[in-house]
Amino acid sequence: MTVPMSAYLVLSIVLLGLGMLGVMRRRNPLLLLLSIELMLNAGNILLIGFSRQWDDPAGQIFALVVMVVAAAEVVIGLGLVVAVFRSRMNLDVDEMSSMKG
Amino acid sequence: MGEQVTFAIAAIGAVGFGIGIVFFKDAFRAAVSLIGTLLSVALLFIVLMAPFVAALQVIVYAGAIVVLFLFVIAYLGVRDEAPGRDRLDAMQAVGWIALLGIAAFGVIAVLGSTIGPGVPAPTNTDVGSPAAIGHAFLSDHIIAFEGTSLILLVAAVGAVILAKRAVQLEGGR
Repeated sequence: MTVPMSAYLVLSIVLLGLGMLGVMRRRNPLLLLLSIELMLNAGNILLIGFSRQWDDPAGQIFALVVMVVAAAEVVIGLGLVVAVFRSRMNLDVDEMSSMKG
Repeated sequence: MGEQVTFAIAAIGAVGFGIGIVFFKDAFRAAVSLIGTLLSVALLFIVLMAPFVAALQVIVYAGAIVVLFLFVIAYLGVRDEAPGRDRLDAMQAVGWIALLGIAAFGVIAVLGSTIGPGVPAPTNTDVGSPAAIGHAFLSDHIIAFEGTSLILLVAAVGAVILAKRAVQLEGGR
């Protein structure tokens, strides 16, 4: 492992910060979901990195579970986006303040 | 040496495409940048000797999830963000404080950590093989394995219910 673990830590922090910035400044729910994917990937880099560091497959198991959760989250999120779009014809998370169907 | 060059390429790619995700106005371009980030991260996984996770990253993430995004973007059409100012503008300062706080905390944690080049690299490279992962999944992490299948089932049923409701709202069956 000639690349130190701290390099992976820094990269992961940068990606997490970018994802947070995206969640903060985007108002289109589709782009919010994209930014959340970025943050999940930052976490996955760390899980795989520590799995390599300590020679334990558990980190890779966690990363795979995160991937499954991300897939489920995207399916439900996009379903909600399409449902909201069909009933309101407007895509802005600030407008979606009511839970009424 | 090769490992460092590959890491540098993948890291630059991941951050560059990540900036694209956050700053592209067009949703389609942002989704395509996500593919770039995912492929760069898959390259990092290969550097970290996790070829199985890297393959799943490309197949599941770049293959399935991003295609789902692109389908929805194509279905909804290209549209600009709604005009008008952000209702949460007053909270922006709090968000920046949180972001900078996390960044500062991360820098402190990295500088203060003892995990670095000093730790000897493990020589066993088998942890990333499909056999090792399958064995770990079905022995130590069987509950997580069953949990993932339950999550996928719930997501599939939820997607069907959401789509059905949306069709009913339009007067269909």
